[in-house]
Amino acid sequence: MSIELLILISILASAYAMVSAKRMSALIGSFRLQSLLLFLLTFMEAVKGHYWGLYAVSFLILGIKVVGIPHFLFRMLREIKVNENLGFLINPQLSLVASLIFTYCAWLFAGQVFPAADTVFRAFATIAFSVLLTGMFIMIFRLKALAQIIGLLVMENGIFLLAAATSGGMPFIVEMAIFLDVFVSVIILGLFVYRINELFTGIDVDQLNRLRG
Amino acid sequence: MSILFILLVPAILTAAPLLVRQNRSLGYLSAAGYFVVLALSIRLILRFLARGAAVSLFNFIYLDALSLFFVFVIALVTFAVALYSVDFVAREAAGGAISEKKARLYYSLFNSFALAMLLVVVVNNLGIMWVAIELTTLVSAFLVGFYNSKDSLEAAWKYIIICSVGIILALLGTILFAYALLFQAGVKSLNWTELIAAAGTLVGNLLKVAFIFILVGYGTKAGLAPMHPWLPDAHSPAISPISALLSGVLLKTALYAILRYSMIVNQCLGPAYTGRLLLLFGLISLAVSAGFILVQKDLKRLLAYSSIEHVGIIAIGFGLGGPLGTYGALFHILNHAAAKSLMFFGAGNIVKKYGTHNIHIIKGVLRVLPLTGAMLLVGIFALTGLPPFSIFFSELMVLAAAFLKGSYLVAGLMLLFLSIIFGAILHHFSQMLFGKKPADQPAESEPLTGKAAFIFLLFFICGLGWLMPGPLNQLLLSASTLLRGR
Repeated sequence: MSIELLILISILASAYAMVSAKRMSALIGSFRLQSLLLFLLTFMEAVKGHYWGLYAVSFLILGIKVVGIPHFLFRMLREIKVNENLGFLINPQLSLVASLIFTYCAWLFAGQVFPAADTVFRAFATIAFSVLLTGMFIMIFRLKALAQIIGLLVMENGIFLLAAATSGGMPFIVEMAIFLDVFVSVIILGLFVYRINELFTGIDVDQLNRLRG
Repeated sequence: MSILFILLVPAILTAAPLLVRQNRSLGYLSAAGYFVVLALSIRLILRFLARGAAVSLFNFIYLDALSLFFVFVIALVTFAVALYSVDFVAREAAGGAISEKKARLYYSLFNSFALAMLLVVVVNNLGIMWVAIELTTLVSAFLVGFYNSKDSLEAAWKYIIICSVGIILALLGTILFAYALLFQAGVKSLNWTELIAAAGTLVGNLLKVAFIFILVGYGTKAGLAPMHPWLPDAHSPAISPISALLSGVLLKTALYAILRYSMIVNQCLGPAYTGRLLLLFGLISLAVSAGFILVQKDLKRLLAYSSIEHVGIIAIGFGLGGPLGTYGALFHILNHAAAKSLMFFGAGNIVKKYGTHNIHIIKGVLRVLPLTGAMLLVGIFALTGLPPFSIFFSELMVLAAAFLKGSYLVAGLMLLFLSIIFGAILHHFSQMLFGKKPADQPAESEPLTGKAAFIFLLFFICGLGWLMPGPLNQLLLSASTLLRGR
């Protein structure tokens, strides 16, 4: 259990690293780290439970989230020569404070939703919820379109953690379908980023303000 | 087996552009395909009325009154849209607005969009349903961004981002439901049939929290205010037949998901909890849409806000519950789907002819496009809820349900917002429809399939006001019994 707890805390730390990241490549790098930790966690569960479905899921994480998507994002970063600056609506220090507050709220919330749970489970749920919230925070308060994609992926990581905590994962077929879906949506979002870059000369989403009222 | 064909037809049509080169033949092929789908859905409904709900295909598909009703609505609108698309897309391609290759791409995307929506309402597994709803977003985002202009790209980006966040919250809700089922009832499954069977044993705050995530998550996709901002943005620059599909049925498929979960929650907590939440969101939607319709300048955005209004009315109907409220809300889903598609077809013709979305520039539609003008005139009377059109009757049912239940505040607010919207829409459209005919716009007749689509929808909008076919009535009755859980 102790190693699992260590991994969980590292996942939380990687979320903090993302929130306080100043450069795009640091953001993607931290996301890759978080996914790697998620892979380790799932893989250990699989070894412990001897459940072939979990092995498959963990290798999907490795293939898609640790290798595939970060590679795709880094390539995009190079090809469209994005300015490394993330574009902050809230500066990194304040963002970090905000995410600490999120974690505390998540702790209270987990206590409300799972009143009968033991502390380890509650910590699990807390970390899942705070990863979810930091993902949402990145989506809202960072101006680059790429950052929004990463925020979405981080939210998804949080959901995945919660699923792992609550039910040992969802039915296998559903898990597979969700993975496929996430992968496809990142590719599609990526295509749109290329198009935005062409039409708007840059990928700052604050340029997207033509439609009102 | 009919259901398999219903899913196979759009699947085959998705691949058809690889073989058929002419976009016009593709259009006719799609229209024929969806005519078959519509016929099959009616056949399924008749069989359901004789034999009752059934699971098939290794528990993958579950068809009861509710899902069959939605299949029927989707089939109806997709058929009309396919019909309208034939000439619309051909003229866009001929006029150079889109390339020939893109016209073929349109049919591929349109058909896969229809497939995803049909999948949402027939699958048994709530996890797969989630995936199908996300697929509808991903496919339709391309259709929203179809013209590749700055506006359409911005709309597509906002659409996909906002709906993805919504859908992730819905996934959170789904997981919490699965957890509740596993620990309180000991069932590890996401199949709806098993969830509803075990629903009586579930208790507690967990379900309440889970339902809020579901409502906010899928409510984003359903266009409930205040999660609606993507909706007018996406409808305005989308290619017109697709605006009809978005408004007419996409919003309703998300509502379908919410209804499925509310049935589970109602089983264990009673209808009061979900009812109050739906009422709240419904009233907010009505208020927000009334405000924006009043000051709107863009024709298609106006119609989009009107969709928010009608989704609000539907939510209010379900929120009030009772036999009358539920029946009225279900009936309203069908009526709004038909009327709003008709309006978007009309708007599509107008925008194409005048080359603008601006309400203040468009004048004299009745003279420039006589049939479109006449249809729009009928359409706005239907949409604002005048008798003898079908929407009048469904709105009346929802209102009567509010009075019967003693919710005078709800009824009063609803009447207030409806009358504001009535005045605003009539004002905007009378300027567009009547007004002086611009000198540089020669009168023009609509293409044949466009006319056919109008007539087909008009038949439903008027016909259902006068006469309710027996099987449809029975289907609505059993769906509303199902929703009320007895």
